[in-house]
Amino acid sequence: MSPYLRALIYSLVIITLLLTVTAWSIWFERKFSGRMQSRVGPTFYGPFGLLQPVVDGLKLLQKEFLIPESADRALFVLAPPLTVILALGTAAVVPFGSEVVAADLDVGVLYILALGSLTTVPVWIAGWASNNKYSLLGGMRAVAQGISYEIPLALAALVPVILAGSMSLTDIVNYQIQHGWFVFWPPGPGFLAFLFFLPASLAEANRIPFDIPEAESELIAGVTTEYTGMGFGLLYLAEYLHTLIVSAVASALFFGGWDGPLLPGLHWMVAKTLVLFAGIFAIRWSLVRFRSDQLMGICWRYLVPIGLGLVMVSAIWVQLAKASAQ
Amino acid sequence: MMPYFVDTLRSLFITMRNVLRKPTTVHFPMERRVRAERYRASFALLHDQSGEELCIGCKACERICPSEVITVDAEKRESSVTGKKRSYAKAFTLDQNACIYCELCVQVCPTDAIVMTRTAQEPAFHRQTLCLNMERLYDNERTQPLTWANASRLIEMQAPPAKEPAKAQDNADADQTGQAR
Repeated sequence: MSPYLRALIYSLVIITLLLTVTAWSIWFERKFSGRMQSRVGPTFYGPFGLLQPVVDGLKLLQKEFLIPESADRALFVLAPPLTVILALGTAAVVPFGSEVVAADLDVGVLYILALGSLTTVPVWIAGWASNNKYSLLGGMRAVAQGISYEIPLALAALVPVILAGSMSLTDIVNYQIQHGWFVFWPPGPGFLAFLFFLPASLAEANRIPFDIPEAESELIAGVTTEYTGMGFGLLYLAEYLHTLIVSAVASALFFGGWDGPLLPGLHWMVAKTLVLFAGIFAIRWSLVRFRSDQLMGICWRYLVPIGLGLVMVSAIWVQLAKASAQ
Repeated sequence: MMPYFVDTLRSLFITMRNVLRKPTTVHFPMERRVRAERYRASFALLHDQSGEELCIGCKACERICPSEVITVDAEKRESSVTGKKRSYAKAFTLDQNACIYCELCVQVCPTDAIVMTRTAQEPAFHRQTLCLNMERLYDNERTQPLTWANASRLIEMQAPPAKEPAKAQDNADADQTGQAR
């Protein structure tokens, strides 16, 4: 089979699956958060409210896509699809099994980080094009936050890259299958890097507790203020997609990807991704929003210096391992 | 940095503990919570056993109403039951748009004529619907379940308990030695 055809089929399957999982993850989140707050969540459509995502999607499709009179029309229309495209683009290099990867790039981690930092651009576009003070403030906050958290994110992702000696996610997972998961071994830097990767990627995806770009109590809905119908739906879809792909990347970088006994690799990868995803939901519904200055303080005072230290420690570890092997 | 971690774990623990608990939701349209015994919503004007209108149009309720939603027009006419001449309410309106349901009108009524009803308030499409006239207030007497409370029962309930002298002495002692006990 030609590699192009293979890549096309894989990406179609992966995109379909990602969108489906994202839609039902919203159902799961609503159920889960409901139980956290002693409620029951959606119950009306289908058994246990399982058809809720379908109904939500239909509702959003029915709604008119309003463009404000003073908005920059082209950019305003462009922003929501761009966010989804960038979020989906990240999924191309994520290995869901030893063979199930749309494009096995040599520089997979770099590609993910690059696309991840690009996601601030459509958010900023949306904020700017809305021509609304709340959207603009939200967009500015998103950019400030995205740029700051790019650094700890890259530093945390650098630890597995140094330990495995490769930037390809497939190589990183293969290394972990031979030498043990990075979150457990080597003790220290791997686990701490995971602890840094998670909040940094949450901040990238503008998720609670780092959702100051859309802070409802301050900015109405931030960049999504002026969006209606499917535009709004796409912006939210992109946020959830980003979170889902971040948990997939985290499970590949730190939890050994498709490594696991008995079941086929794909099952393990999906299970790890979904557990991480549920963990992110738990964080989302447990914590309150950080203040803007606290957010920057955590990034520049703790995450960046300690992240640099972690990179150093893991480099020393690799050198020591080499020396002892000789 | 450390407090952030500790607090994060604590909040995660609290929400996770809640996940394992039973939800407290009552699935409203399918099941309805039993209404409390003292639930009060709308109003009704009453007749006595012989079918005589109790309201004498004294306007005590109109005067005490804090939000001034009651208007009473009084007239003198012969009773259709006893044939005696006395005052009646010619028109009685209670505007529920602004009513605060304080029940003061019930408490001041000298003839126990006005009471509250136990049915839930129906949502209305027009403000006019929420404005109760005399006809609808007398309709409510026939159609709606009434609360037990009328003026004389409320006064009875709120009166200070009749104390016996010996008992009062006991209470005074208790107050003085309250700390020791």
